[in-house]
Parts: sequence; C-alpha cells; structure tokens
Amino acid sequence: MTVKAGKPKSRLDPEPLPRRDFLGLASLWATAGALFFAALGMLRLPRTAVLSSPSKKFTASLPDNLAEGEAFVPPGRATAIFKDKEGVYAISTICTHLGCVVKPSAEGFECPCHGSRFHPDGTVAKGPAPKPLPWLKISVSGGKVTVDEGTTVKEGTKV
Amino acid sequence: MNQADQQPTHSQPTDALSEFWKNLKAAPRLLKETAFRTGKPTTDRSRSSFVFGNVFLHLHSVRTHRWSLRWSTTMGLGIASTSAFLITLVTGILLMFYYKPYTDVAYQSIKDLHFVVPTGRFIRNIHRWAANVMVICVMLHMARAFYTAAYRKPREFNWLIGMGLFVTTLGLSFTGYLLPWDQLAYWAITIGANIAQSPRELTDIHNITTWFDPGGLNRLILLGSDKVGPEALIRFYLLHIMILPLVLVALMAVHFWRIRKDGGLARPADATERVGETLEPVQPVFTEKPTKTYHLAALVKGRTPAVGNGPEGTVPSMPHLFYVELSVLMVTTLICLGLALVLDAPLKELANPSVPENPAKAPWYFLGLQEMVAFSAFMGGIGIPTVVLFGLGLIPFLDREKAGTGEWFGGPGGWPLVKRSIWIGLGAALLVEAFVIRFGWLREWFPGIPQLIITFVNPGTVLTLLYAAYSVWLVRKWNSTRAGALGLFTCFLCGFLVLTIIGTYFRGPNWEFFWSPADWPKH
Amino acid sequence: MNKTKHLLLWSSVGVWLLLVVAAVQENYWREWRQVQASATAPDGPLEIRLRQVVNPTLNISDRCVSCHVGMAPGESGISGPRLAVVHKPVVHDPAEMGCTTCHGGQGAATDKDDAHGDVHFWPEPMLAKNHLYAGCGSCHTTLNIPNAAVFEHSRSTFERLDCLACHRVDGRGGTLRPDKGGMEGPDLSRVGMTGFKADWYPQHLAKHNEAQTGVWKTSFGPISEADQKTAEAFLSTRVAAPRLVEAKAQFHSLGCMGCHKIGGGMGGDAGVDLARSGLKDPGQLNFAQVPGAPTLSNWLAEHFRSPAGLVAGSQMPMLGLSENQIELLTLYVLSLRRRDVPGSYLPKDRVSAMRFNGREFSSDGATLFSALCSGCHGATGQGMRYPGLPPFPAIGKSDFLSLVSDEFLTETITKGRPGRKMPKWGELGLKPEDVAALIGYLRQLSVTPAKVETTPARWVKADPNWGRQLFAASCAGCHGTKGEGIEGPALNNQVFLRSATDSLLTETIKNGRQGTAMRGFSQPSSVFPALTPAEIEAVTAFIRTWEEKKP
Repeated sequence: MTVKAGKPKSRLDPEPLPRRDFLGLASLWATAGALFFAALGMLRLPRTAVLSSPSKKFTASLPDNLAEGEAFVPPGRATAIFKDKEGVYAISTICTHLGCVVKPSAEGFECPCHGSRFHPDGTVAKGPAPKPLPWLKISVSGGKVTVDEGTTVKEGTKV
Repeated sequence: MNQADQQPTHSQPTDALSEFWKNLKAAPRLLKETAFRTGKPTTDRSRSSFVFGNVFLHLHSVRTHRWSLRWSTTMGLGIASTSAFLITLVTGILLMFYYKPYTDVAYQSIKDLHFVVPTGRFIRNIHRWAANVMVICVMLHMARAFYTAAYRKPREFNWLIGMGLFVTTLGLSFTGYLLPWDQLAYWAITIGANIAQSPRELTDIHNITTWFDPGGLNRLILLGSDKVGPEALIRFYLLHIMILPLVLVALMAVHFWRIRKDGGLARPADATERVGETLEPVQPVFTEKPTKTYHLAALVKGRTPAVGNGPEGTVPSMPHLFYVELSVLMVTTLICLGLALVLDAPLKELANPSVPENPAKAPWYFLGLQEMVAFSAFMGGIGIPTVVLFGLGLIPFLDREKAGTGEWFGGPGGWPLVKRSIWIGLGAALLVEAFVIRFGWLREWFPGIPQLIITFVNPGTVLTLLYAAYSVWLVRKWNSTRAGALGLFTCFLCGFLVLTIIGTYFRGPNWEFFWSPADWPKH
Repeated sequence: MNKTKHLLLWSSVGVWLLLVVAAVQENYWREWRQVQASATAPDGPLEIRLRQVVNPTLNISDRCVSCHVGMAPGESGISGPRLAVVHKPVVHDPAEMGCTTCHGGQGAATDKDDAHGDVHFWPEPMLAKNHLYAGCGSCHTTLNIPNAAVFEHSRSTFERLDCLACHRVDGRGGTLRPDKGGMEGPDLSRVGMTGFKADWYPQHLAKHNEAQTGVWKTSFGPISEADQKTAEAFLSTRVAAPRLVEAKAQFHSLGCMGCHKIGGGMGGDAGVDLARSGLKDPGQLNFAQVPGAPTLSNWLAEHFRSPAGLVAGSQMPMLGLSENQIELLTLYVLSLRRRDVPGSYLPKDRVSAMRFNGREFSSDGATLFSALCSGCHGATGQGMRYPGLPPFPAIGKSDFLSLVSDEFLTETITKGRPGRKMPKWGELGLKPEDVAALIGYLRQLSVTPAKVETTPARWVKADPNWGRQLFAASCAGCHGTKGEGIEGPALNNQVFLRSATDSLLTETIKNGRQGTAMRGFSQPSSVFPALTPAEIEAVTAFIRTWEEKKP
C-alpha cells in the first residue's frame, strides 16, 4: 500500500486506515490483558497470608484465692476467667460494638469507649453494643486452664 | 428576600425532572466525552489532539520522524530503561508493604517476603532483575547516544542530564543493596562506605586529615555512624525509596522534555531522503514550513529545531510511536519476568559485623572499580571514576564537528576505527591485568613504598594513561576530536568489561585470582 | 509497523504466559500446598493455607507446621502423609514453644531445604534425629551430672533395687501392671526437674511394713543408706533427656574441663571456651578433611578423631576415643547452644546455674577427678604423654601418694604449679570441700595410706655448694641449671618449695616418679651414677637455696 507523498489533502480529512486492523487490535488487547492480569496478581500481595499475632489458644493457671464472680484476666489477654461452684468459664472482654477492651467490674463489664454495659454473664445491659460478649471455649487440666480465644461456645457453658 | 424571588424561572417543574433523567441517562456518554475530549484519533488533527491533550503523552511530539522509529536508530534502549524503572517503581512500592527498615527485623521481613507473602518472592525477584536490566539498559543507551554522536549540538546538555540519570541509577541500585541486611549487603556497603572515605588516602599523606577530612565526612554523612548499622540502614532506605527516585523522576522529565525541544532524536541531515517515501499519505497539520516556533504562550525569538523544517519524513506519533514504545515496555517486562521466574534474588546469612564475607563483592557493575580499588581505594573508587565522568561530560563541548551525527559510529574513522579500538582496549586491559596477576604490583616488590606513589601509579592509572595516549594519537592521525573520542570511549568500555568480568568470575577469597569458583578453598 | 505490532502482540502474550506460570507456581506448586492437599481433616479436606506457630516472647514464627500440619496450633485428627502426623507427647507444647526452639532450622521458611537449613546461607541447620536431645541445651542446663562410671553405677543400682518393677523411667519399667494384680508408681522420667519427696524412703518402707501380701511386700524391701543415695543421684539426672545426660557424663569423664571452660564457668584456660560451640556456622568451617556431608556434627566427630588435622595449630591431643564416645561427645558439644531466654521461660535448672552457682558436674571426688584432672593425669592418675606437649606426671601411683602429704596436695591443687600446665584451681572455682573430695578420691587410687609426717618439714642440713655441683651434673639436664625447668618441671617455683617437705624431695630423688622421666637416683643408670643419701641431701639443700621466704 505504497502511497506517494506530496499530495497534501486537507488536515481535516480522515486518514485512510485499514478498515480492520486485526493485528493492532489483537496486540493492544493482549497488552491490556497481560497488564490487567499482572495488576490482579499484584493486588494479592497486600493481603497478608500469615498474621504476626500469637496463637489464639493459651494456657494460664488461676490464682488459688479467686473468689466467685471475680474476674481473672491473664496478662496480655482479652479474656476474663471466672470460677464458681459449677466450674470455670471464660468470657471475651472485647466489646461487640467497636472492639474496645471492656473492664470487668462488680456489676459486670463496662466499656470505656462508648458506654456499653454488660451483665456478669456477658449480656448487654445498656449502650450501643449489639451482641452479648461471647463465651470462649475453656478446658481444665492439672490445675491449669486452656482458653481458645478463637472458638466461642454457648452462653452458660462451664467446665 | 421574600418568597416571590424564590420562584423558579422555569414555568414547568416537571421539565426539570425529565431533564434530570435525560442527563442521568447521558452521564456515561458525557463522562467519556469529558474524559477524552477528542473523538477517535483517525485524522491527523485528532491524533495530534490526542497526544497533546493527554497529560501522559504530551511529552511526545505529535509527529515523529521515521528515522527515529527505525529499530536500528535506538534499539529502544531509552524506553527500555524507562520501562525497567517503571517496573522497579511498581514492584518497589509493593515490597514496601512488608519491608521494615530496622536492623533487627529487616532480614526477617525479606524472609517473609520470600516465603509467606502472596506473590512476594516473584515480586522481589522482578524488582531485583528489573534493577539489573535498568543498569544494563542505561549503560547501553549511553553507548548508543555516544556512538551515534547524539550528544552534539543542540543536545549537549541533555547528554549531561543523561549522565546524571546514569549515576542516579547506579546510586539507586547500590542503596537497594543494603536493605536485605544480609552478609552480602553488609560487606558490600562497608566497602562502599570506605571507598567514600578514601580521600583520606591523600589527606593522610599530607597529614591534614585532622582538620581537613572530606573522606571522613563523606562516610559520616553516608552511614550516620562510624560503622554500618541501624543509622546507615535508615539512610539508605530513605535514599532508595525517596530521594533518589525523586531525583531520577525529575531528571527523566527534563531528559524527555529536552528530547522534544531539541527536535526529537538525533538524525543525519539527509535522514528524510534516506528513509525514503512514506508508506502513508502525508496529511500535515502545517501545510507549509513554519518560520516561527510556537512556544506555550507566545511567539518567541530565536531558532529552535522546528524552524525551517516541514513535516516531511514524519508520521503521527499516535499510533506509530506508541506501538513502538508499548512493545519495548512489554519486551522489557517479558525479560524481567522470565529472569524472575528462573532465578531467585540472592539472600545470604544475616549480617554479621564480626565475620566478613570472603570474598565480599560489590554489585557486579562496581566490580570493575573493585578490581582497581584493590590497589588504591582513592584512585580506583573515586579518582578514575571522577576523571571518566568528567571526560564524558566534556565530550559534547570538545567535539563540535558535524560529520556523522545520528549515524552509528559516525565520524572520521567510523566502524574500522572502533573495531581496532575494541582490540586495543581489550588487549591493553588484559595485558595489564595479566601482568598484575602474574607479577604483582609495586607493594609486592618494594614493601616500604609510600602510598602516594601507589595512589598515582597503579594498574588503573596505567590503563587510563595507555588509553589516553592512544586517543591522542587518534586525534592527531585523523585530525578529529571525534576520532579520539570514539577510540577513548570504546577503550574504556572494553576496560570496564574486562575488569568487571575478572572481578565477577575470576576473583575469589582474599581477592586472589582463580580460574573458576570451583578452585576456591573449600569451606 | 506490522513488525512492531507483532512484537507487541507476542511479547504481551509471553508476559501473560509467564504470569500464568508464576500464578500456578504460587498457588499450586508450593511444597506445603501439596502436602496439605494430600492430608485430610476429620470433617473433609484440609483447608489449604499457611500455618505457623507464633510466640512473640520467644521471638519465633515457625512455619514448619505448614507441612507438619498435624502439629499446627488448633489442628486435630489430621490424617495423611507421615510428615503431617501429630507431635509425640512432650512436656513442651509445640503449639506454644514452636519448632525451632528445640530442633533448630529456619522457622521462617516454607520450603523443605530452606526450612531444614540444608542451604549454605543458613548458619543453624536442623538437628539430626540422633542429636535431637542437643536441642534441650538451648534453654536447659542439666545440673550435677556425674562421670560415666559413677553414672553407670547409679543406674545399675537403681535397676538392681528393682525400682522399675513399679516405676517407668525413660519408657522402660512399670512392668507390674494394675490389671496384672500389681500397681503402677509414678513415671520418674522427669523427676530430676520436678523433684521428689525427701521422705520417699520412709514412706515406701511404711507401705512395705503395712502390707501383708502383694507388690508392696514382694517388690520392695529395706534399702541400705548408700544405695538410697546412689538411687537418688540417679533420679536427679532424670530430665527426660537420657541420651544428653549420658553424653554429659561422658564429657565429665574425659577431663575436658582441665583445658576448656564453658561460658566462663569452671575449667582450664589452655583450650577455647566451648560456650555456643553447638551453634558454630558450618559455612565458616573447613570441611576439606571431613568425610561425609558438610554438617557440624560430622565436623565435630572428625575433630575428635584428629583435632589438629582440622584446626591448624590446635594443641588439643588426639584422645583415641571410641566411636561411641565420639558420638556422645558430639551430641554434648552440639548441646552447647545456650540462648538468652526471656524470664518467663527460664527453666529451673538454668536459674539455679545462673543465680545460685548450680554446677553441671556433680561434686563427688570421682567426677571431679575425671572431669577436671583426668585429661592430663590420666583416667587412673597414671600420667599422660601427648606428642608436642610436656609429659604430665602420674599422681595416682603409690610411690607418689605415699610421699606427699594432704597439705602438699591441697596447696598444689589450689595454687597450681607456675610454669607448668597445672592451673590454679582455687581461683577457677574449686572449693575447699571439692579439693578434699578430690584428695579423698586420689588416696583411694592406691592402697597406700597418706603419709603421716613424723619428721619435721625441714630437716636436711647438708652443704648446698656440694649440692650445686651434683645438681649441675645429674639434674640440670631436665630441670635447668637454675631449676627453671626444661623437659622436667621447674623446681624453683615458690609454691612447690613451700609445700614440698624435705622428705618428699629426698624420697623422690631416691626413688623417682613412676610414669615420668624422673628416675630413682639410688640406683646407677647408663647415664648417671647413683647418688648416696648424703649426696641426695646435698642436692636437696641446694634446691632449698631457691626458696625466697624460708619458714
């Protein structure tokens, strides 16, 4: 398709493009596809595969003089462990509203962030918290308790 | 204000609502129209609009000379360098999601990238390979610009900008070397920092180090401490991710802008005739040659390359140039990805300040220098590189000739001269190295010799002088600066090649010569 | 133009293909993914994801459990390939303590070779199966380990007393099962850590006396006090790491501590401090002479076979050890990998060693002798000669023991012998009671009772000038003209002159020292004429002239 130069037409005339530039289109789409696929792959990177937080399961030994209804919070954990006549049980101290750590008190739990209050069994007394505090799986062996913060159990489960 | 003033001027409020619906339905079309103000780039005019109406493309000229589009003109090396930079930029930002620039966790974070971060290993490998590809492309690009005499008027200053880009590229690669905080990194940077300190070699001789210590200052500023430690790591990190990339981008913008302002790529005066007839009809924006240059806001005085040139021999940049650029980008990506799939980026033991790597080797492109540093830290690491950079920077101002611009090995002598220079360059470097490896150097013969003598008489300086003498001979023989420059540049390139290869493959523990790593003492 | 388009098309397709390969590699070809795919959870296929044990206090994040998925925290009932099984029941919960804490290796890695540390850039490869117990040394310091002979004796005593009838120790014993009409006592494998009741014997005896029939009557009876002590010594070594204890007992049998310290503890200065020798980086060692794989254990074993062959200039003699001894010593050295342990994880024995000067060797005379002295003086005090080193004197023979007083021995052990290899043990941490125990042990090496001094310490009254000539003729060849010592020991050293009695000197000159080059001068030899008693006294008088502070 050699066309002689030097026959200037108007600069507003369309250039006689080949009607179907299949190769050009294919190459451009291939590029777009490859770059899109690369972008998809790159988007995977920020999604962390392993978390740097320790195992949700932990073992603690309860103090001997733990009174009934008194909370024992192992250091560094967001779990309150109680002991009564029926056995031991663990309640998460992470507020179900926006994740603040609630403080065990005589009336139950108080959240310092938005004023939620919970009964001693974890049910909501007042405030914006939508759900009761979850009960956590706990097991006792040889004077030590093992709590799995990752597994919730039915309210009232004591071992 | 009373209520009456608030009456709508339209008599029928229902019309406004239907207008609203109409506009809402038209929104997608309007979005497209407002985003791309020109229509389909089918005419010469709309193609021009497409280019200068787009912020990312408007650094390009709207028309490109067909000489520039020939593969043999540039081999796409400039675009390849840019592409490699873009790849390192994207992958580097991704790596920053996980990298922690603190000595106690940096190594661990690289291990995490390698082992548990989704795609982390691949991304890090690409980053590493793209960095190497970039260094190679920048070097070759520079050689291309030199051999086609593209540094000549009016491109003198852009040659200097290009040299700035070259140094910045090496700096980026070198600062990235420390970040994994492994043995390789630690000892390479220790050596690098001591090279920065090597002006002491001269100040010590004159006993002025106590009150004039540029070497010590260099090192202190680079490391922020007396040894490579947390301060150095954070400084190198800052240089690597912030300062040097900003410098590079700024220089790149100037570099590209000047290419356009200097009338595109260098080409011979008769380029239009030599590319022959266009394959497409010319439908130029300008139907006659302009007599003035249209700068942004006014007609300015003076002559720029566009003055006196018509559109002959050019084609619209859209799409011709962009196809070329895009394909170079994809080829560069292909190379980086392929290398990244096959070869993992190295990661050695955790940095241990008490056990030096043996041999501790710098990145490969510095091994030529390291070979010379083995005699004089100052001359090899600072003296000769400075002389070479200074000489390179002077070339466009010394060579004011016209013959051969835009042509490979253009100028007096041409390819035969370059070919002979290759043999001389390789031969001289090999001879000097062979002599040194076989017989040693001054310190071995005269143990009491002052360092000052070795600083100025060492294999590096001897080689430099040999090359310089050859170049002066060439200038006289051809009565041309260009001929001397061609010879000198070729020789230095060959010398660099020989020293780098010896440093990479033939130097073992204690920087001793070995025919192959298999002969290294077994450890 | 078309060429460019082709280039763009095919490079793009190439990029796309490479990305697909990378994606497949990332999502399907990773070793751990294939392992997890071949394992099944109790309720269907196992979820394939990276698993790890994280313990910020111990500063570990071990991804080993991505393949050894049965040991991952919170997983149970996983079936599949062998490497996905659960961990053997151990005291330390792997889900809490992690894997590399005990096993070594590279916890961050998720590929087998990298994780096991079989790569040249990882300085601390995983411990091999036969050296597993070395891992205990990362945190633990097993204390009061006797030498091999004493240990063997205590073990056989324990077995002779038939304790294994009811108790299990290290997986043995407890054979009288409840369902067989017997009863089972507590497992004693860790009793050295957990401790046992001081009144176990009276309690056992009371049960025995109460019982009319059954195991208490038949399998237990009165035990002598000596046997009780021996059995208790055995029990205090039970820390669930029997092989490591055996290795340590071996270390305490070969006198290594005569030359080596461990982390600045007790020991001589002639050799290097062995602290953290189990963490030597194999990448920094020379394997040119080492057969087999370039592992630290192979290097150590070869080092024990031929020390100077591996470490140029090493003074360590070839000890002529059996392969079993080498294996044990290798295990022991590998266990020298003590790390800084955060306070909440410090084990009792380590605290005891750090704060209360708990010792790793037990303090009975036999162990003290074999741990500290036997390297130079020989296992039975017979003296040793190593090529390239001065001969070490025999101290266990009756000729010597019958001559020296306890005071002389105490003085020599505590203050050392200047100019000789004998260190000042008093300054290195040997307490007076240890010295007494040592001397007690030495004394029973020969049947001769200790010399009881009846004569005064200084009784020789001869002419030293006559002695000078005799000394120059007969003694100076070995001891030097001024008694400074050449091949033989120095005689002009003040500690020796102060503590040695005249009787000791005259008798030694007369009869010589067995096992050394010192011959008796009462008989003529091919080189030297015999000395008369008067001449010997003259020599003694001459030797006395070097004493600076006369008593």
